[in-house]
Order: sequence, then structure tokens, then C-alpha cells
Amino acid sequence: MKRALPVLVLTVAGLVPVWRYTPSAPEPAVAEPAPVPSVSASPGGTTRVVAGPTVDTEKGPVQVEVTLDGDRIGAVRMLRQPDHPQTTAAVPVLIEETLRAQSADVDTVSGATVTSDGYRESLQAALDAGDS
Amino acid sequence: MGFPVSLRIDDEGFAGADAVDALFARLREADARFSPFREDSEVSRLDRGEPDPDPPTPELTEILALCERYRIATGGAFDVRPPGRRLDPCAVVKGWAVQRGADLLRAAGARRFCLNAGGDVVAAGGPWRVGVRHPEHAGRLCAVLELTDGAVATSARYERGDHIIDARTGRPATGLLALTVTAPTLTEADAVATAAFALGREGIAWAAARPGCEVFAVTAARRVVRTPGFPTAGRARETVA
Repeated sequence: MKRALPVLVLTVAGLVPVWRYTPSAPEPAVAEPAPVPSVSASPGGTTRVVAGPTVDTEKGPVQVEVTLDGDRIGAVRMLRQPDHPQTTAAVPVLIEETLRAQSADVDTVSGATVTSDGYRESLQAALDAGDS
Repeated sequence: MGFPVSLRIDDEGFAGADAVDALFARLREADARFSPFREDSEVSRLDRGEPDPDPPTPELTEILALCERYRIATGGAFDVRPPGRRLDPCAVVKGWAVQRGADLLRAAGARRFCLNAGGDVVAAGGPWRVGVRHPEHAGRLCAVLELTDGAVATSARYERGDHIIDARTGRPATGLLALTVTAPTLTEADAVATAAFALGREGIAWAAARPGCEVFAVTAARRVVRTPGFPTAGRARETVA
């Protein structure tokens, strides 16, 4: 349990912003009282199911249950989540890819080019030189 | 807030030289009034507790209100005055001022132009091909996007180092190498890019959830994380590196 708790806290911390960032809407109604963290373990095995504390967010209470296989998280299940129609829509789909370096024919370049030294080395400077 | 500004106007016979002058004058004015690096700016005077004019001008009030909106939206990660530091509204002022400059061009009749201010871009009447600088190779790109009308802003550590503070910890945000946002206006794109960078890894999902925003981020682990709608250009004109 000593090793499981930090994992659980991180999991909750990771999920909470999802509700914080939903557009404002009426508070959801969740009636049940907040249970205390509880743990059930299969005797002799390394799989444990840990229920986290209820965390209050702007949109309502959130509680997760984590299944641990040894030290690894096997599954995360929502025990309670804000009853909010935008909850699902507010979780954006993200695509993960490999970082690639490329050269291409472009009109302009976006990047943190704040100083003039940076500018001199930048692609944008080359483009401007090419235009004139 | 010194940064290079490039402007390209492709309208045939555009007779808006005055508007172009007004654009640059407006950017210089924004710098003089709102730069925290100028002791006599409105921002510095307010920061010293000597507001002049008092109360602050409507423009400074608008800028601070924008900053406050993003502070609340990020749960405090983005803050115009991080703990123990001075008032620095640059992240909002730059996008706000450049967008207002672009609006001047539009009002003067410009329809097809591309304005690049320190790596932040307002595009009109495209398609324009906008490269995103690779965070580790200044001369290379890590993405190319196509923009018809809209804005692109990038926040990163490679140019000014760890200058974006996560105000929740008071320490530099280090979860990302770079984060690029497209949005309808540069006011939104620039502020969202900086605010998301302050949030770190979780800032990607935060920015992606904002209406009208598409995101392309490079994490500290050198992985690309982007929204499906990020307007990546076709690869037809891409040259082999």
C-alpha cells in the first residue's frame, strides 16, 4: 500500500485537469457520500484493486479505482465522475508521432524567434533575403 | 520585446503604404507602453505601484483582463506575475498587438498577406505554407502546415531558454520542448501557446480542448503529440532532406 498510494495520487492528479478545463456549465448532481479510500487484495496474489479518495473538482467529485498488477497499473476505472454532458467531448483526441526533421518549401516559419541573433540564424531571415 | 517582423502583401496594386506604416507604429507603441523591460512603460510603472495614468489605460486594462482569463483557465500555471517575479504581460501583449496590426491591414483593403512577428504568424487569403521550426535544429522544420485565414504561434525553450514559468511551482516549465497553436486570431494563438507551455505536458490536452485551436507539441521526451485537425500541409512540395 505504501507504494500504491503515490501512483494513485498521480493518477488522480492527471485526471482532474480534464474536468477543470471543461467549459463552464451547471454543477452536476452527485448525491452519494464520499467513501474513504479502500483496498481489496486477492490473497496470495500481486493484483490489488485500490480505490482512491474522492477529489472535488469544479465540475463535481471524481473518484478512481486502480487495479495494480504488482507495481504496474493494469486498469483505471472511474468510480464517480461529474454527471456532465461535456465531459466526454472535452477530452481531446491526440495523436502521438515520431519527431522528424524536414526541409520543405514554405512561405514563412513559426518558431520562438525572439532575439535578432536568433533571427539571423533563422529560416525566416533566409526567406526574407530570398524575397528581396 | 525586440523581435523581427516580416510582412508580405500579395494584393495586386495594394495602395496601403500608410497602413503598413501604421502597423509598425502600432507595434512600436505597444512595446513602449507595455514592455516590462522599459522602466517608463505603463506596465513597469504599474508594477512599481506608481500607475500612470491612474487608473490604467483601457488598453492595459484589456491586456491584464486577458492575462487573468488565461490564469484562471490554466488553474494558475500561466500568471502575468509569477511568484517573486515582475509583472510580465509579454505573452499576451505580443499576440494582441500583432493581431491589431493585421486588423489595420485588413481595414486598409489587404486581402492576401502574411505577417510574421518573431515567429508568430497572421495569415490572410491563403493558402500559405507555414513551417514549424524544429526545436533542436534551427535550420530545419518539424512540421509544415497550410493556413488560409488564421494565426500560428509557437512557444519554446530553444530561443530564450527556460523563460516560461509554471506559476504553480514558481519554476520554469520543462515538460515540453515546443508547442505550436493555430487559432482564428493571434491574440488567442499566442496566449494559448504560452499558457499551454506553462502547463507542461498536460498543456497539450488543455490547448486542444479550446474551441478553434489545433495543437502540435514536442515533448521533453522528443515525441510529437498533436491534434488530428492540425492543418498539416500535403507533402507534394516537400523536398527530400
